[in-house]
Amino acid sequence: MRPDRPTHHDAARRRLLRGLVAAVAAIGLATPAMAEGPWQRLDAARSVLGDAEPVTQGLVLDLPHVSEDGASVSLTVGFDGELADDDYISRIDLFATANPSPEIATFHLTPLSGKPEISTRVRLNETQQVIAIATSHQGERFATAREVRITVSGCLMRNGADQPEPLSNPRVSVPARFSPGQPEAVRTLINHPMETGLREGPDGEIVPRHIIERFTVSLNGETAFEADLHQSVSASPYLLFYLSPEQDSEAVFEWQDDTGSTARHEAAIETS
Amino acid sequence: MNHRHNRSGLTRRQLIKGIGAASLLPLVGSAPFAIGGQSAGRVVVVGGGFGGATAAKYLKRANPAIEVLLIEPNETFYTCPFSNLHLGGLREMDAIAHGYDELKDRYGVRVIHAMVEDVDADAHKVTLSTGRKLDYDRLVLSPGIDMRWNALEGYDEEAAEKAPHAWKAGTQTELLRSQLEAMDDGGTFVMVAPENPFRCPPGPYERASLVANYLAQHKPKSKVLILDAKDNFSKQGLFTAGWERLYGDRIEWVGLSSDGRVTRVDADRLEVETEFGTVHRADVLNVIPPQKAGWIAERAGVTDDSGWVPVKAETFESRQVADIYVVGDATVAAPMPKSGFCANGQAKVVAAAIAASLESRPAPEAYWTNTCYSLVGPEYGISVAGVYRVQDGVIAEVEGAGGLSPADASDATRALEAEYAVGWYNAICQDTWGTSPGSRAT
Repeated sequence: MRPDRPTHHDAARRRLLRGLVAAVAAIGLATPAMAEGPWQRLDAARSVLGDAEPVTQGLVLDLPHVSEDGASVSLTVGFDGELADDDYISRIDLFATANPSPEIATFHLTPLSGKPEISTRVRLNETQQVIAIATSHQGERFATAREVRITVSGCLMRNGADQPEPLSNPRVSVPARFSPGQPEAVRTLINHPMETGLREGPDGEIVPRHIIERFTVSLNGETAFEADLHQSVSASPYLLFYLSPEQDSEAVFEWQDDTGSTARHEAAIETS
Repeated sequence: MNHRHNRSGLTRRQLIKGIGAASLLPLVGSAPFAIGGQSAGRVVVVGGGFGGATAAKYLKRANPAIEVLLIEPNETFYTCPFSNLHLGGLREMDAIAHGYDELKDRYGVRVIHAMVEDVDADAHKVTLSTGRKLDYDRLVLSPGIDMRWNALEGYDEEAAEKAPHAWKAGTQTELLRSQLEAMDDGGTFVMVAPENPFRCPPGPYERASLVANYLAQHKPKSKVLILDAKDNFSKQGLFTAGWERLYGDRIEWVGLSSDGRVTRVDADRLEVETEFGTVHRADVLNVIPPQKAGWIAERAGVTDDSGWVPVKAETFESRQVADIYVVGDATVAAPMPKSGFCANGQAKVVAAAIAASLESRPAPEAYWTNTCYSLVGPEYGISVAGVYRVQDGVIAEVEGAGGLSPADASDATRALEAEYAVGWYNAICQDTWGTSPGSRAT
């Protein structure tokens, strides 16, 4: 409804709204979006959000507009919004709205994670929206979504690839030295088929689900970063995240799959 | 073509010829061009590769009264298709060289050997390296690719003189070939392959094949190592089976999940380092870096933040700037691959769309085909084919219309496909430039 000219009432309402926006901005929060985001239409996302109306600025999803290989789409999620001084992003959830099972991963961050930015590679069955939801330690919620077009290039048609040995070749790349409190990127890669449980094998039978479910990083026994992975994570999961150790630490990286098997990698981290 | 790279490489002779050609223009200007008729409009085509040369020719075929100016810095165009045969010692550079005489003499295309330095889309003008400005009614850009220098740490234009990309045919191809010839027996040829999207998806793997073929004959103790930023590549199963059949374990491929992604290049030491810290030393290092649309596309304002050009599927007109049409590797045309065949087909769609729009007719319905032949050996060919049309406003592959060479084909079939590959090359070059290999018009 839009009157031809503004009424006295409208003008007052606009002043009120402007005041509200200014007040929200003044306490360092972006304007909450009133429009319904795609996260409102996805049960899995709504269960993370609860009744909260997420802020739609601050959380950034970086994905290609068009991907020619839906089996492995590079994704980066990061947060550059504002939070109270004593607050931090403690959880990031990723969803693929049109995958058979929309959950991609849930990342649990701590003050030792340092910087809320994570890169991974995901499976996208078809053109769809990818959703990210971030939750702060004090319960602030942020959401964003990106549309990705999936198309398999004609020249990329392939006829079968070998499946990697589960939990083989754990690889970790950590900087030689950290400055205390200065987050640095850490990269991990491990071979695993990440079988979705949806694919037919050569014999026509469904290949059973077989995925890495959990990845944990601890510094001197204290959990620094955790990831719950689902079948929408690409085979041989890759993760780039940040660590911010306060002192020399023994870092332990552990992957666990749904058979209970684990792989482990240890690294000595020096700070100076 | 290569706007940035060739600017310094333009010889004085080429420059003078370019000026000579450009200085003829005032005689023509925008005055009536076709004898006995009015100009039906002026189209400037930038780039004389598969896309640009085809667009110029097919515009003239659609309507000879359209004034068509083709701007291309080089008098001789070397094709990327079949340049791997030169690397493998199977074909001379002359046999992948093409000129513009037929476009000029038979079709009446005005060919100007110069660079395009700027595009003013509002004023419908392009500025040439000669300083001359040309008006256009419609502009076609076929700028190919440029390398994203330094996207891979340590790999810039200078590094490419030591560790060639050879992903634009010409001097880079010859440099890499001479390095291969000079390599000692027992050396390792290391190739760094990029993530998608990039020019010619099966190209790196055909190159590895034909290099392995050369090494098997001339330097039998040597190896080929491919470090790949992908886990899957074009015609992977066919290539892998062919490698095993022809070259045993001479070719080693390391994919993304096995730490194949290179993150740093040291061209002086011929070393590369992967994401998880493995250092590989090469005797000959071929780095195929990340790419983007050719420079002039960005200058014209038609690229998006991916570095490539989004186009309207039906016509290949830019989604961002009116009256500019873009064809070939520079575009986002997936699922069509970045191939010379696709550029040729896209150019025909653009020619038909422009001819229609100059007469205020709607563009005809577009569809395309693509066939990528690859040689695993001189007598061992494989292929993938696709058919594409517009569905819901985007390009889509027609299901069941294309396909791959069979996995279990006989040697005779592979040999036939190698012959078809040569037939394909001759046919598409004839269609694009009117020149067959060896009969280069100069």
